Amino acid sequence: MIDRIRFVLHETWESLLRNATMQAAAISTACIALILLGGAGMALYKLDAAASALPSQFEAEVFLKMTATREQALQLKAELESWQAVAQATLTPREVAWEEQKQKLAADVNLADIPNPLPDKLTVRVRDPEQLPAVAERIQQSPLVDEVIDSRAELQTVLSLSRLVRWIGLGAGGLLLLAALILIYNTVRLTIFSRQREVRVMALVGATLRSIRLPFILEGMTQGLVGGALAATLTLLAAALLSDYMTEQWAFLRDLPPGLPPLVVLVGLPTLGALMGGLCAWWATLRYVRI
Amino acid sequence: MAVELKQVSVAYGEQGALRRVNLRVERGEFVFLVGATGAGKSTLFKLLYGERRPTEGEVWVLGQPVHRLKPRELPFLRRQMGIVPQDYPLLPRKTVWENIAYGLRAIGYNESAVRQRVAQVLALVGLNEQARQLPSQLSGGEAQRAAIARAIANNPPLLIADEPTANLDPDTSWEIIELLLRINLRGATVIVSTHNRTIVDRACQRVVAMDRGQILSDVPRGGYPMELDRLYASVLL
Ligand SMILES: Nc1ncnc2c1ncn2[C@@H]1O[C@H](COP(=O)(O)OP(=O)(O)O)[C@@H](O)[C@H]1O
Ligand SMILES: [Mg+2]
Repeated sequence: MIDRIRFVLHETWESLLRNATMQAAAISTACIALILLGGAGMALYKLDAAASALPSQFEAEVFLKMTATREQALQLKAELESWQAVAQATLTPREVAWEEQKQKLAADVNLADIPNPLPDKLTVRVRDPEQLPAVAERIQQSPLVDEVIDSRAELQTVLSLSRLVRWIGLGAGGLLLLAALILIYNTVRLTIFSRQREVRVMALVGATLRSIRLPFILEGMTQGLVGGALAATLTLLAAALLSDYMTEQWAFLRDLPPGLPPLVVLVGLPTLGALMGGLCAWWATLRYVRI
Repeated sequence: MAVELKQVSVAYGEQGALRRVNLRVERGEFVFLVGATGAGKSTLFKLLYGERRPTEGEVWVLGQPVHRLKPRELPFLRRQMGIVPQDYPLLPRKTVWENIAYGLRAIGYNESAVRQRVAQVLALVGLNEQARQLPSQLSGGEAQRAAIARAIANNPPLLIADEPTANLDPDTSWEIIELLLRINLRGATVIVSTHNRTIVDRACQRVVAMDRGQILSDVPRGGYPMELDRLYASVLL
């Protein structure tokens, strides 16, 4: 068995050493395709997480003026809840919000000595997202209210961004993947031609079709695997650099939930590459390895 | 019965490579297949190991119906046959030793069995000295012996050799035929194609003559020289 495996691996290695240029082309195309797919996957995952972390389309956040007293805040809450369109209003007292904020930023800054800059906040839930603009407008007119934020605009941005990434990433990635598959198919086909004599000798001594084909299939799998491993490394590297840069630019990004775990990318892309590579190599051997 | 062809035709173009060929070869026989270039000798061999399929008729080898074996069944037939093809019998980038070992590994021999078997067949064909040489470093006769060694490495009951004496001088040709006769004496059925009249005369074995896709005559072992003369005249050797 060991001898058998050694023989097959040796044959695979011999295959890989032929047509270095073709091998490089196949591997790098697979790599680029998988980078696009992997990058798109990671971005989509992050955007999905961001979208679900945003307040729902049913909610608006109402920030009161610093001058408003707690009593006035509670009165406003009661008044809002009496409105037909409002399902619920929740008060987040400024001390509670500040405590949370301090904890969240504790690692970066010491806020212990700073006076609380946050106002009281009411989170207002409507019964129907369509009513949100009208309700927000009406709340804004109260003299107690500093600002009303309804997050539908942000949500729309995230969703359209997500659509864009899906189209570009999956579309271009898919096309490139197709190109990679064709290149791997072609490389394996050329290897088969360049090893016509070996194939014939093996066939004449009675090697089974399967064992003659296996080295070529492993060749395709190796191309996909190497392309996928390169893609995973580059994608994770780029993601790390980009996210460092972006969180530096926009601190609020730190509040977003974490993205796709690196291990998923590290294992997923090479596996995907190997599977695809093996599949089209298998296809090439079906057509070109005959006995 | 080692080989039986029944009404076998192979169509190539208008004329066809083989036309209604019938042939029986018993186990243990030694058979020369003679005929000018293009007579259909190689085509007949390819039928025997399933590289070509007959357009019509039946091909039986070692009791198996080759004409209807599936591709995945052919390997197991070929393991019982030693095949010395006319073109490219050796891998150019491997040494003699590796060439013989390669086939054995491909059908699952383990390393120690490979070593043992390669040493045995190298001794049998007299190539111990050349084991580490590449095919390009061998003389024509040595290359043929290496190809025969590879073919018989698996100790097959049937050996077919397609023009193993092509381009060899008379002495070397005879050495190759002697080797094949020795393999035949050890029990294998041997079928060998050739153009070489001198060695056919000298070997005194059965001779099957082909011309333009048909079997013209079949002179049994120990046949009269006159019959052979007529045969040579008819197939223009
Ligand atoms: N692949 C092929 N395609 C077309 N014709 C072929 C092919 N192989 C052989 N032939 C024809 O079949 C006939 C027999 O060829 P072959 O069996 O090689 O003869 P031999 O081995 O006796 O020289 C010849 O006329 C040859 O031209
Ligand atoms: Mg021929």
